[in-house]
Amino acid sequence: MYEISQDLSLDKKLEILSDAAKYDVACTSSGSDRRGQKGMLGNSCAAGICHSFAADGRCISLLKILMTNHCVYDCKYCKNRRSNDIERATFTPREICTLTTEFYKRNYIEGLFLSSGVINSPDYTMEKMCETLRLLRTEYRFNGYIHIKAIPGASSELINSAGLLADRISINMELPTEESLSLLAPNKSVKNIVTPMNSISTAIASHRLAIGKDARMERAVINDRLSHTIFSGNDRAKNIGTAGSKGIEEAVNSALLSNNVNRGGSFLPADPKDKSLRRPFAPAGQSTQMIIGASEESDYDIMSTAQLLYKGFDLKRVFYSAYIPLNDDSALPSLDTPVPLLREHRLYQADFLLRYYGFGISELLSDDKPNFDTRIDPKCEWALRHLGDFPVEVNKASYDQLIRVPGIGPTSIKRIMSARRYGHVNFMMLKKMGVVLKRAQFFITCDGHMMGNIPIEEQFILNRLTDADRKTSYQIQNPDNSVQMNLFNDFGLSAGSA
Amino acid sequence: MRVFICEHNWEAMLSCIYDAWSSKLGHANIRLTTQEPEQYSLLDEYVTVSFDRGKAESVMDAVNLKISPQVYSEIAYAAMSSEEDALDTIYRVLILGFAYGPNVVKMVGYKDVSRFFDIRRAVGNEVHHFIEFVRFHEIRRSLYVAHIEPKNHIVGALGGHFSDRMPSENWMIIDDVHKEAIVHPKDEDFYFKKLSDDEFTRLLCTEEENDEYTDLWKVFFDSIAISERFNPKLQRNLFPIWKRKHAVEFK
Repeated sequence: MYEISQDLSLDKKLEILSDAAKYDVACTSSGSDRRGQKGMLGNSCAAGICHSFAADGRCISLLKILMTNHCVYDCKYCKNRRSNDIERATFTPREICTLTTEFYKRNYIEGLFLSSGVINSPDYTMEKMCETLRLLRTEYRFNGYIHIKAIPGASSELINSAGLLADRISINMELPTEESLSLLAPNKSVKNIVTPMNSISTAIASHRLAIGKDARMERAVINDRLSHTIFSGNDRAKNIGTAGSKGIEEAVNSALLSNNVNRGGSFLPADPKDKSLRRPFAPAGQSTQMIIGASEESDYDIMSTAQLLYKGFDLKRVFYSAYIPLNDDSALPSLDTPVPLLREHRLYQADFLLRYYGFGISELLSDDKPNFDTRIDPKCEWALRHLGDFPVEVNKASYDQLIRVPGIGPTSIKRIMSARRYGHVNFMMLKKMGVVLKRAQFFITCDGHMMGNIPIEEQFILNRLTDADRKTSYQIQNPDNSVQMNLFNDFGLSAGSA
Repeated sequence: MRVFICEHNWEAMLSCIYDAWSSKLGHANIRLTTQEPEQYSLLDEYVTVSFDRGKAESVMDAVNLKISPQVYSEIAYAAMSSEEDALDTIYRVLILGFAYGPNVVKMVGYKDVSRFFDIRRAVGNEVHHFIEFVRFHEIRRSLYVAHIEPKNHIVGALGGHFSDRMPSENWMIIDDVHKEAIVHPKDEDFYFKKLSDDEFTRLLCTEEENDEYTDLWKVFFDSIAISERFNPKLQRNLFPIWKRKHAVEFK
C-alpha cells in the first residue's frame, strides 16, 4: 500500500491520525505504578492522571493516535474501513517517538496510546508497532505509560513482545456476540479476538507468578472487605467460548508444567538471566471495548459478556462506546440515530457495580428485564427491588450492607468506618463525608432515625429518585448544544453603529 | 481576644503556635491567622509573631513525639492552604491531638477536625489538579518553565512528583500568585525559592517564547474531541476555567 500524497506535514498527519483514533475509548493511564529513573524520562502513577479535557468532556490522558489509518479490513461501523474515501496517512516510528517524548516533557500527556489500521497484514502492522515501542523504550529512554492495541490475527510472538514493552495491552471485542460480529465486522471472528485475549491473560498471570504476585490482577481494596464479589468465589474459572475452557490458574499451571515450553516464542516469562527481557508483562493488565447501540444486543447480553471477561480473562477494564453513526449501511442503524449516551452511562455505572460494589450481573438484570431503567441508576433500581433489606443503620451496618446503599460508595464507607470508631455518625457528618444524601436518605437510619418522615414504599421512593435525577439524565441524553442568542454576533449589530 | 498574626511560611506558623500556646490566655480567648485582617477590630489585640528557630523546633518535636509524625505531616500539608482560618484550625486540632493522640485526624465528629478535613482535602485536590494541569514551556534548548496560579501555596508539593518524572531535565515551576518557585537542575534535587520582584518580572515573559510543540498540541486537542458528544458543561466541570489560565490548549 502506498501513500497518494507522500509529503504530509507532521501537524497534518497528527490531525488525521488523532481524528481517526478518537473513537477508541480506553484512554486511561491507571493501573501501573513505576518510579522514575535518572537518565530516563517518565514514571507512572497507579491512580492515573488526566492532563486535559476535550470539548466533549472526555479526559485526555494519553497521546491517542493511530500509527496508520490505512486498513485492509472493511468493518461496517468503522470510519477507516477500506471502502471509505478519506484522507490517509502513516506515522514513521520516529515521528511517534518525538511527539510522545516532547509532549510528555511539557506535561501535556501521560503516555502513548497506540492503535492502528491494518496495513498489508496483521503481522506487518503489529511488527511496525513493536518497532515503534522498542525505539521509544530504548533509544528515547521513555519510562512513561504505554497502551497498545493488539491487532486481531497477529502472531503470538509479536503480541508477546508488545506486552513486554507496554503497560497495558488491549484487543477490542467491538461486539458482544458472534452473530453481530460476523454481520458488522466480516473480517474479524470471535476466535481471532478471544484466542489472543486468552493467551495475553495467561501471559500476564504467569509473569505475575514469576515475580511472586498473585496470578490475578489487584482489584479495588474494597473487594477484600466484601464477602462475595465477581473476583472471588469458586465460579471464577468459568470462561467464554472454546478458547479458554479452563481458569487462568489452571492454564498457567499446565503451561508452566508442560515440558515442551519454548521460552523464546511463548508467552511465558523469559529466563531471568536475560536482563533485557526482565520486564513485567503488561503490568496494568488487559482491557477491551464494546460498541453500544450498533447491534441488537440488550444490556443484559453486554454486561454478561463483560462479567465473563472479568472473571475468565481477568481483564482490568471493559470500556463501552456509544455508537456514533458514521457510515451509511443497511446493516447499521440509520445516520440520524441519536447517540445512546445515557445507555452508555448506565452501562458504565453497572460496570462499576461489578468491580467496586460486589454486585453480580444476575442481581441487576435478567432475561425478563434485559435493559436498565433510564430514569434511575442501576444501584437504585436494585435497591427498590430489595426494599426488605432497608433501611440500613449506618452506625452498625457491615461493609456488605453499606456498599449496597445508593449514594454510598467505597470512599464514603472508608470514612464512615473510620469515624464510627470514635463516635456516632449523624446525617450532618455523612453529608460532610461526601455521601449523596439525595439518594441515600431513603435507605439509611442514623441511630435509629431516618432523615425526615419517609415511608419505605417503592412507588414513593421511585418518584422522589426519578425527580431528583431527571435533570442529570436529561442532560446526559441531550448534551447542551444550544447557544444563547447574541445580538452582536448573530445579527451583526455593533455597539457604536446607531 | 488576642489575635496572633504571622507570615505564611511553615516555620513562622510553628513559632506562632508556640507563642499562642504559651500566652496562657485560654484557648477560647485567642485566634491565629496568617493574613493581616482587612479591618481591625476595636476590641481585639493584635500581635505579630516572627520566625524563631527555637520555638518552631519545640512545637515540631512536641507534635512528632507526643502525637505522631503522621499527624505532623498532615498538619504541614494542610498549612499550605490559603484559607483564613487554616492556622487556627490546625491549632485547635493540635489541642485535641495532645489530649487524644494520633487518631485525632479521624475524629470528624469534632467540628474543628471536620473543618481540618475540609481544608486538608481542598489542598490535596488542588495539588492533584495542578499535577495534571501544569504546562511546561520550552525556552531555549531543554529548559522547561511552567507558570501556575493556584489558590493555595502548593508549588512545593508539586516538586516530588515532577522530579521523579523528569529527573534528567532542567525545569522550574513558578507560582505567579504567591511569587514562589521550585527549581530543578538536571540530575540534582529540586529546591524551593521565594522570588524577588526583579526575578519575577524577568520570568513573566517565558510564555511568549515560541514553542513548536504547543501548536501541535493544539491540533491534537481539537481533533481528539468528538463533535457528536460536544459537552462544554462537563468540560468546565472537570477543568474549571480559573485553572485554565496557563493551559496552552485554551489560548
